[in-house]
Parts: sequence; C-alpha cells; structure tokens
Amino acid sequence: MKIYDTIIIGAGVVGCCLASDLSRSHHKVLVLDKANDVATGASKANSGLVHAGFDAKEGSLKAMLNVKGNRLYPAMCKRLGVPLEKTGAIVVGSDKSAVETLYRRGQANGVKNLFVLSRDELLKLAPNLSEEVTVGLYAKDAYVVSPYLLTICLCEEAIVNGADVRLNFNIAKIEKQGEVFAVTNGNETFFAKTIVNSAGAGVNDVAKLIGSETYEITYRRGEYYVLDSTESGTTKITVFPLPTKDGKGILVTPTIDKNILVGPTSYESDDSTITTVEGLASVKEKSQKLLTNVNLRRAIRQFAGVRSIVGDDFVIEKSKKVKGVITLAGICSPGLSSAPAISRYVISLLGLNFDDKDAKKITPYRLFKNLSTSEKNELVKKDKRYGKIVCKCENITEGDIVFALNRPLKVCSVDGIKRRVRAGMGRCQGGFCSLPVASLIAKYNKIPLESVLKENAKSNVFAGKIRGGSYEV
Amino acid sequence: MKFDVVVVGGGPAGMSAAIGSAKNGASTLIIERNDELGGILNQCIHNGFGLHYYKEELTGPEFANRLSKEVKKYANITILTQTFVTEIKQNKVVISNKDGVQEVETKAIVLATGAREKTPANITLTGSRPAGLMTAGVAQKMVNTMGLLPGKEVVILGSGDIGLIMARRLTLEGAKVKAVLEINKTTSGLRRNVLQCLDDFNIPLFFQTTVFSVVGKDRVEGIYYGKVDDNYNQLKETQKFLKCDALILSVGLTPETDIVKGLKTMRVTGGGEVDEYYMTNIKGLFTCGNVLHIHDLVDNVCIESENAGRCASLFAKKKLDTSRPVNVIAGNGLTYVVPSTAYINDNKLVCRFRLKNKITRTNIVAKSGGVVLAKRFVLAGTPGEMQSLEIEKANATGDIIVEVE
Repeated sequence: MKIYDTIIIGAGVVGCCLASDLSRSHHKVLVLDKANDVATGASKANSGLVHAGFDAKEGSLKAMLNVKGNRLYPAMCKRLGVPLEKTGAIVVGSDKSAVETLYRRGQANGVKNLFVLSRDELLKLAPNLSEEVTVGLYAKDAYVVSPYLLTICLCEEAIVNGADVRLNFNIAKIEKQGEVFAVTNGNETFFAKTIVNSAGAGVNDVAKLIGSETYEITYRRGEYYVLDSTESGTTKITVFPLPTKDGKGILVTPTIDKNILVGPTSYESDDSTITTVEGLASVKEKSQKLLTNVNLRRAIRQFAGVRSIVGDDFVIEKSKKVKGVITLAGICSPGLSSAPAISRYVISLLGLNFDDKDAKKITPYRLFKNLSTSEKNELVKKDKRYGKIVCKCENITEGDIVFALNRPLKVCSVDGIKRRVRAGMGRCQGGFCSLPVASLIAKYNKIPLESVLKENAKSNVFAGKIRGGSYEV
Repeated sequence: MKFDVVVVGGGPAGMSAAIGSAKNGASTLIIERNDELGGILNQCIHNGFGLHYYKEELTGPEFANRLSKEVKKYANITILTQTFVTEIKQNKVVISNKDGVQEVETKAIVLATGAREKTPANITLTGSRPAGLMTAGVAQKMVNTMGLLPGKEVVILGSGDIGLIMARRLTLEGAKVKAVLEINKTTSGLRRNVLQCLDDFNIPLFFQTTVFSVVGKDRVEGIYYGKVDDNYNQLKETQKFLKCDALILSVGLTPETDIVKGLKTMRVTGGGEVDEYYMTNIKGLFTCGNVLHIHDLVDNVCIESENAGRCASLFAKKKLDTSRPVNVIAGNGLTYVVPSTAYINDNKLVCRFRLKNKITRTNIVAKSGGVVLAKRFVLAGTPGEMQSLEIEKANATGDIIVEVE
C-alpha cells in the first residue's frame, strides 16, 4: 500500500505550486481535482498579475506572503520556462493622502521600489491617463504572468519529480484509518499521512468530507474584457484606480501574451462564472476613468472569475478538529502573487523540509512563432507538423499542439490546449481552429471525435452524428 | 521565389484575382492555407452559387471546383497550398509551410483573405461560455465536412445568410431548430433564403429579439431571450427561457485584414480603403472579396476580384494611371461605397455599396459638380443586398457622390 506524505486536494496555482515544491523535495505527493484539467477555477480567471504587495494590510498573511511570493517569482518562472514580464504597476487617482497611505503601507510591508509620482511623472509611464488623475503610486516590482500556464507547468514539474495527479476525481469519502487518511471516489482509494485542502471555491465541500472546520465563504464575481493584441499599445504598465473596500478596483493591464485585460468587477455573487450586462457595463464605464484610449470595440472575449473570500485575510491553518489536515480558505487576491510563498508556508506547517537541490526540470513550452527563423527551419525539417499553422490568429502550428498533447500532464480538452499553447485565444476565438484542434486531440489521445471535450466531463464539443452520418478523423 | 503578383488566399476572390492577373501575362502566385483551393465555398454544400457568373445553379464545392480548374489552365499561375502567410511587408510576404519559413518577393500583392465570423464577444453576449456555443460557420464545417452535429435542439441568433442556410441544413440533418432570433426589424439575409430555409420548414423567425444570456455550465442548456426596443435595449419584462443544447451565431462577418500593418480601413466595412484599382493606402497592396467588404453573392466577388487582379498586374508593369484623383463619397441613403478614390479618365467605374434603408422605385445616382454621371432605377432594394452602379467618369469635375435620389 502506497502511503503519500500528502494528498493535495485542488489543483489550482497554490495546490500545484505546493505539489511541485514538495515533490522536488522528494516528498510523496498526490494531487486530486474534480475538474478535467488543472487551473480551471480562480487560477484560470484572474488578472494575471504578480502584485508588489503594498495593498494588503500591515501584518496580515496577505501582506507577508505577497511580498515574499513576489520575490520568489522570477526564479520560479525562469526554472519553469514560463514567461514573466516586469511591467510595473501604478495606482492612480486624485486623492493624495490615499496614495500616501498606500505608500506607507507598502513601506511597512517591506515593498521596495515604491514611488509617489505626480501627474507629469505618471504620464511618462502611462501617456493616456484620464484627466481626473493627479497623483499615483508607482510600484516597479510588479509582473504579468499567464496564471494557467504557470499552474500547468508547476503541475508538470511536480509530475516529473514523482508526484501523481488524478483529475476528474470526485471524492466520495475521506476517512482517517489510524494515522492515515483514506481518500476514495468509490473506485480508487488513496492513502496519505496528511491532507492539504486547497480546493478554492470548493474548500467547504472538502472540509465536510474530512470533518475539519468549515468557513463562512462569500463569493465575489469579477468580470473582464480581453482586448485584441492589436490594442497592445493601450498601456505598457498595469494601471489601477485607488482601492476601495470592494478590492483593487477595475484595472487596465497588458497581459504576458500581448493582449489588454480590462476588469474586474467585484460584487457579491454565487459561484458561477457568468458575465452580466450590468457588470460589463460597469467595467466599460470605470475603465474610461483610468485611461482615455481603452477601445472595448476590439474586445475578443469577456469572461468572469469568482473570488472566494473569508474575512479580510487568507486562512491557512492546521485543523484543530482533525490532526494532519491543513486548510487554505479565502485565497483570493493576492493569491497568485503569494502562491510560491503560501507553498513554503504550508510546507513548514506540515513540518516538512524544503530542499530542491536534486530536482528535475521540465522542458519549457516554446511556441514555434517565437523561435528565430533558423530555429524554425530546423524544427520544420525535423517535424513537418511545425509547418502547418492550425490557429491563424495566434499562429500556432500543429507541432505546437502535438507538443502540448505529449506533456507529462495529459491534456484532454480543447480549452486545455488553448491554455497551454494559445490555439483559440485570438480574435476569432477558435472559429478557425477549434475543430482542427478537436481532431488532433481525438487522433493523438486515440479517442472518438465525439468524446472530445471542450473543458470538463459532459462538455462534449459535438452532439452526435448527423442523420445516418459517418466521419473520419 | 519571385513573382509579379502574389495573391494571399485561394478562395473565390483569390482565384479570380489570380486569373485577372495571369490573363494579363503576370507571373502569379496563389498562397492558400488549406489543402486545396476554394476557401469557405468548400463547406457550403448548398446550391445557389453561380447564377450570375456561370448562368447556372451550382453548389459551393462545384463553384470552387470550376473556378480552380480555370486557374489551373494558366501556366503563369503557381499554387502553394498548405502554406500560411505570417507577415506582409512592402513587396514581400513571409510564408510558412512544410518546407519551413521563407520570403517571397513580389511587385504587387492582392490581399484576398476573406472574412472571419463575429464571435459572442463581438456582440457582448453574456451568461456562460459552454460547449455548444459557436458561430454558424463552425457549425457548417462540423455538419458538412465532419458529419457531426453541433446540437440536437438548436437556436440560431442572427438571420444572416449563413444562419438561415444552417437552419435548413441542421433540420435536414436531424436537429430541431427551435427559433431564429434577429435583433433588427428586418433580416440581413437574402429574401430567397428566408423563404427556402425557414418558411419551408416552419422555423419561426422573431424580429427585434435577442439572447439575453446563455445558460449551461458544461454544454448549453438553454437561453434567456426577449425583445429589444428600437435602441437595442433589452426589455427585461419580455424575458423567457428556451431550452436548447446549442446556440449558433450568425451575426455578421469582419474582414480579415489584421495581417497587414498600417492598412487604412473604412469604419463601416472594416475592410481596406481602396481606389478604383482596388489599391489600398499601401502602394502595391490590392484587396478584394470579403476582406474588402462583405458580399452576398460569390458571383460579385469573382467579378470584383478579377478586376483587382488585373489592376495588380498592371501595377507590377507600372501601367496604372493614377493621375487626377477624386473622392468617391457615399451620399444620402448609402452606408458606404467602394472604392473611395477614382481617377478622372475614360475607364468605366463600377462602384459597390449598401443602402441604409429599404427603397422602392427610386433612382440611384452618381453626381460630380452638379452633373449626373450615372443613374439607375431600382425597383426594390434592401440593406441586405449589395448594390452597384456603373459610372462614366471622364466628365467628372470633382468628387463623385453616389446617393439615393
């Protein structure tokens, strides 16, 4: 009977970061998630920002872990080959004392490279600031990253270092048998000495199965617009309004993939990721108050994510009811920024050590379009599939897609391919490539075309054959 | 590789442009990303193509096949399929295919890249984003080339031609089309398609009606829909739920111009702003077909594109007369007119445009400096149908205004 050191429930960025850190330190780890891929909850739908850390209240876990996480990011992304760009961020408005309060908070949190700037100084960083802006705070050490690519790579890194991952795993029962937890979906049972509950929006569902503490969770929906890469000139730096009690406010930021992200709303909601007419209208209105040149007519996508909120701070604690359980609840913003620090913090709570000196590395994702001409020609010579472009908007080749299909973490969905290599992320939103991508998934995963999924179970791309029809892959 | 004219795109526009260029003796290259020529025609297996151009009713693939056979008759046309243009520069295109990445030199380029469908994001469709939500072209490709259904109970949003055609196709292939919703007061599709695709199959078409939100986590489970007022505001009190497992969008096309950097485009069409030779603001770059403006009939695409190809070859030979330019302006009753610039000379100009509103028994005229250059009586015209007017412009004295009288 294999007994894991830890079973991590929830394969978001925090769960996967922990899985990677633990497995790279030679601890035996199993990651479980009910979804068909990693990063399908809050880790998929957020602003993709690594905050500097001036926003969270002094002395909070959020402040401590954000600042520490921010410092861990460059080395982590370099190790994984995940693109990270230091774009910097400004918080702008007309209330000088509010800006100064933020500045002092940043100082207290230990954030370096923070500056209070005048309008003229801000205009050098963001030439299209709205006229209402008179003052702002500039944080140099803020980054943009693809939160899903990061999570995927962390999970893959965990796998190459010995972790096991089970997706589509719906836990039916968690039992403590002596000192060991038994986690089962009815068919398969796994055993571990400890459990980390990082199930995000589903943290209480898991806590109830374990018998550990549950939390008063409120959900806040965040709706966004994604603008076409043709609009990448909108801003080169992340622009926030001054924060309010509802959060960091509606921001405009470049993404790591040359799009512009505008949002999010923040209002209490259920846990569904729908977009609403009212929500999107407020994003539109508020973004115009930040920058004068946000062209939402070039939106290629609207989406929503849901934050799970428990009080004002992250909850990361050992269960008092059930020994050997650590619960992470209310990991909303700055959860992405804090993820690497949260992971180290949990490792210390588990009483384990972190030591990655013999850790194995993953082969990074490198898209064909980002290679030099000579590298491209060499690659096409070796593999003709790189000569065939499947996604016309993002210039993604069949070779790129096949590469994604042959990774340590098996990808089984059209959206999974999209998150890994960006096929379908462009202005036509998969109009051109979703069917060819579905065909490639069927071909390389050796499954019938009709079972290809968009995302989770039951999200079949096709509804069946035509009357008396047949097909070929 | 070096050519007089490079045509980007091997659909009906690209093929016709290549023919126009090759007829004029220019060495011509067609670059097509798919395995064969024909473009989107290859998935349009319904009939109704070619009534004007070939005086015969053909299916899309038949039309494509006939045109590509004609292309292949010209020894001076080279065809590269499974080849992708990744960049367009002055006198150069960068291509990517199984032989790697290379540059092709050329004296003139014809952009014939067609259009892409408007997406849920383009119309700010709210709600969830599950499987079963797609554009009509994707559904068409699924049904006609893969033999698979996009849904069993389908709602179609938008009464553009592709949506109407798909309503019929899906019905014939075993799906139930529950309704077609159109946000406007009239259809943007051809009248014959409303009759043959909806009325003949008892599929209801609701005007001033749209989807309020999409419901369904994994696959589409239904839609909330209802009426809009004249300013397109959703009237919440009219909201109803309709169960379906697919929502198919036919809400318009956008010219696929983004590959060209620095192209001056028209606000209304989204396509390039061209002169009477179909040349854009970028010297030596010509454009035609749906990437210039969205057509209803492939027949018109072919006529226009052959002309554009001919002009590109003349440019390659430095034989285009661009002296005495005047503006061509969309006047009263027109949403736009192509081209934007004409030259005062003996060439006849065929301008193409769309109407703002329905007209009956009215003249469309072209004037310059108070002089009527051309006049055509229109029995009935709608915004859904592209119009044209042939103009003798030797006598133009200034800007040419095309308008409804």
